[in-house]
Amino acid sequence: MDIELTHVLKKYQNKVVVDIEKATFKSGKVYGVIGENGAGKTTLLKMIAGLEPYERGSIYYNGKCLEQTDLRRVTYLSQTPYMMQMSVYNNIAYPLKIRGFTDAQINSSVNAILDELQMDALANQMATQLSGGESQKVALARALVFNPEVLLLDEPTASIDQNTIKVIESTIAKRNREMHMTVITISHDRDQINRMCEEIVTMERGKSNVYSRHNHGE
Amino acid sequence: MNFITEGFKEALTLLMSFDKEVYTIMGLSIGLSLMSTFCSALLGIPFGIYLGLKTFKLKRAFTRFVYTAMSLPPVVVGLAVAIFFSRSGPLGTFGLMFTPTAMIIAQVILVTPIIMGIVFNASKEKGRAIYNVGKTLGANRLQILMLMITEMRVTILIAVVTGFGRAISEVGAVMIVGGNIKGHTRVMTTYIAMNNSMGNYGMAIAMGMVLLIISFIVNSILYHFTAGD
Repeated sequence: MDIELTHVLKKYQNKVVVDIEKATFKSGKVYGVIGENGAGKTTLLKMIAGLEPYERGSIYYNGKCLEQTDLRRVTYLSQTPYMMQMSVYNNIAYPLKIRGFTDAQINSSVNAILDELQMDALANQMATQLSGGESQKVALARALVFNPEVLLLDEPTASIDQNTIKVIESTIAKRNREMHMTVITISHDRDQINRMCEEIVTMERGKSNVYSRHNHGE
Repeated sequence: MNFITEGFKEALTLLMSFDKEVYTIMGLSIGLSLMSTFCSALLGIPFGIYLGLKTFKLKRAFTRFVYTAMSLPPVVVGLAVAIFFSRSGPLGTFGLMFTPTAMIIAQVILVTPIIMGIVFNASKEKGRAIYNVGKTLGANRLQILMLMITEMRVTILIAVVTGFGRAISEVGAVMIVGGNIKGHTRVMTTYIAMNNSMGNYGMAIAMGMVLLIISFIVNSILYHFTAGD
């Protein structure tokens, strides 16, 4: 899914936090958003996810405006994901249940993603009792299980151990490769941006600038 | 001291003898309180959730208003309802004064702010996080509301039980709008107040014991659901 922002302005109490003339996120690419704290990165992702209203401008999804778009194909993963008070299995099954999948389909999809993220042993644990890294993996599994077209990640690996980071990065890369999923991720880790992203978006005081990484894959 | 012991003995005899009047009063009390708590929950839970999520200009003033309404004096509510439903009042044509319906209306006015205030507070604190998860996972409005109720179920249960406690123990408002009419609007609290003023301590103690038992049962249910949280 292509995403295009034109003349988008967002203010918090009269302070401009995002002011983007034009920015395009092409389908199937992985974008890294970098910038200092307060530059408007999280607000940008939340606006694309439909979680933040904006004062002016438009966001187009495959050329269609927000009102004509099914945002069920766009998902956002926060830095501190909320875990529902149920088991890990049920947390991951939730997006499928609300989409009316059968029990057999749910069981197969959830078990596959638990296996992919190496979390089989956690399936029956209460999600609210997990560590930070485990919660992040569960939230990622929950976001990926319904195969979204756009994945928005807000510092998905902040304060997580290296092994978990590797698993998360490889899962995202695999989904991007196989499902042609658009990924936009915020990170303060330049190495991670270099590893994961083809394009980089710099944010500075609400303004964005997109440029390609020619050395991608080196 | 003797009258207290005698009172307890009389209370036990009354309860064990399955006195029809006593059990009618108990039934009406519990029925009215359940009905008013149910109506208040229907109003208070969705509104509490919605207003906790919503950002609007007068939110601070509204919060203060809700918290004030949580401690509304029952006698004042009773008086207001009585004025509205008295024969010459604006709603006098409905003929609801001194009926169980008027008692339910008074209790709903007292209980709704309690349920709404508790749910509103919880929704203000973690409602946005739950809403965002629901929305980003593709839930529609109804599914998000159901998710919020499920996630805040302990708080909602506490709110409902607190509301029920207020309804069943309230005396001032139901006395004014119900009139304590035997077999019609007489409930446990008005019965205790009446017997106390008449010096019938046995009757008053019997009903007091029943109220305590109900309170114990309700709190035990609450503890059962919240202990694992």
